[in-house]
Amino acid sequence: MSKPLKCSLCEEAATVHLAQVVHNKVTKVHLCEACAQKGGATDPAVFQLADALTSATQAAPTTTCPQCGFTDIDFRKRGRLGCPSCWEVFGDALGALLTKVQHEAEHVGRAPAGMLPTGQLRRRLDGARREMEQAVAAENFEVAARLRDEIAVLEQQLTPS
Amino acid sequence: MSVQDILDAESELTHLLGAQQAVVLSTRIRLARNLDGLPFPGWAKVPQRKEIAERCVEALTELPKFRRGHVLRMGELQDRDRAVLVERHLVSKELASGKSGASVISRDQTCSVMINEEDHLRIQVVKAGWHLRGTWHIAEQLDDDLGGRLKMAFSERLGYLTACPTNVGTGLRASAMVHLPGLCLAGHMDKVSRALNQDGLAVRGWLGEGTEAAGNIFQISNQQTLGLSEDAILKHLGGWIKNVVEQEWNARRKLAKDEGERFTDRLARSYGILRHARLLTSAESMNMLSHLRLACDMGCLPEELRHIVDRLMIEGQPAHVQARAGEELDSDGRDRRRASVVREALRDFPEVAAPTA
Repeated sequence: MSKPLKCSLCEEAATVHLAQVVHNKVTKVHLCEACAQKGGATDPAVFQLADALTSATQAAPTTTCPQCGFTDIDFRKRGRLGCPSCWEVFGDALGALLTKVQHEAEHVGRAPAGMLPTGQLRRRLDGARREMEQAVAAENFEVAARLRDEIAVLEQQLTPS
Repeated sequence: MSVQDILDAESELTHLLGAQQAVVLSTRIRLARNLDGLPFPGWAKVPQRKEIAERCVEALTELPKFRRGHVLRMGELQDRDRAVLVERHLVSKELASGKSGASVISRDQTCSVMINEEDHLRIQVVKAGWHLRGTWHIAEQLDDDLGGRLKMAFSERLGYLTACPTNVGTGLRASAMVHLPGLCLAGHMDKVSRALNQDGLAVRGWLGEGTEAAGNIFQISNQQTLGLSEDAILKHLGGWIKNVVEQEWNARRKLAKDEGERFTDRLARSYGILRHARLLTSAESMNMLSHLRLACDMGCLPEELRHIVDRLMIEGQPAHVQARAGEELDSDGRDRRRASVVREALRDFPEVAAPTA
């Protein structure tokens, strides 16, 4: 076994190893996690996905999915989730990540047949009501009438049968 | 049903069952779906992955689209057969490298579903040429049919739940495989790539993620799947593809005009090599075939010969050459075999003429 490397700055055990090319020569630097953090050596672009969930220094899991046993540390390692329930369990941390990598943090597309996308219907209903008020205020009655019909359909769809 | 049947069959991309075109080789739709209440394949235990595979295969084989199709379990296939499937874009490298993955493929090879890849189900539909809406409608129909048989993991707020946060929501990846020799020769490809990246589209090589753009062929796809409707994603991609196709034609026409005889000469030289070479590497043949496809688009060769070029691009790949040979070939053997397949296919091609397009 080779001797564990020590941090170039503080003699702690080094866990972050950097290779840098300066003037065509490779320079290697070994850092402990604390010094690496301080120096900003953990490249945010590379670890963006995983770091959104846990900070780079964390060692023990803080959240575990009761359904499949997946932890925040597992996510950090893999960048993938364990099961559909994980989305609920890690919801808050994932929300921040989703706003970074996705267009919006809420779904506006298709839903399985029979699954009523109530959230979407409600949002559309709110929007239609606002638009109708504006149309009435602007005396644009043709548009207002179309919106009134749409609102009636949406309200009916939102009423449990 | 075996991989040999897939090689022997007349398929959408190799035999031009759909309408084929200049610039856009094919349109592809992919939907990521997962069964409710089961861990994602990367976290599932072996018996769970088995259960997932069985349930998915059963549901898929009931669908009319997959009647007389193929069910292939990766663990039962030879390395070479898995490589053929990857080269045909029927399965990903990731699926081919594992043992518990399976693939269900329609008879005409337009629809293929990967099971136990990163998600339980990856529904894929491909059409030759540029047919975004038509391809989407087939995928939508498959999704509906499958959704009627399997309960999918879905959240009202986040949409279809996937293993990776980059696929959640619609689970939709729409893409076009485009042939851009004009933009490459003119040195504009970096600029075009950057513009696409900045507007949320990914540009990849011929075999997807992390591959080089052999033969000036690129795959352009949407990156975001959440917060946009399927329709908005398709419109966004469609608008850009139209734009890229226009830019490609502008670049081609400018090259043809500026270079004059040298333009025709360049294409004719590639033709000469393909027609007479005794040893052809995979990369060399891709790049020469790219010139030949350009010649067909520009009227230097009859347009109706273009599908032969497209087929050679697919069948000239290493595992295809190997599988066709029926015996183990070394690298020189493959290059010899590839050259002979190409020579044979081009035997009746006329000479390369000056462009008319």
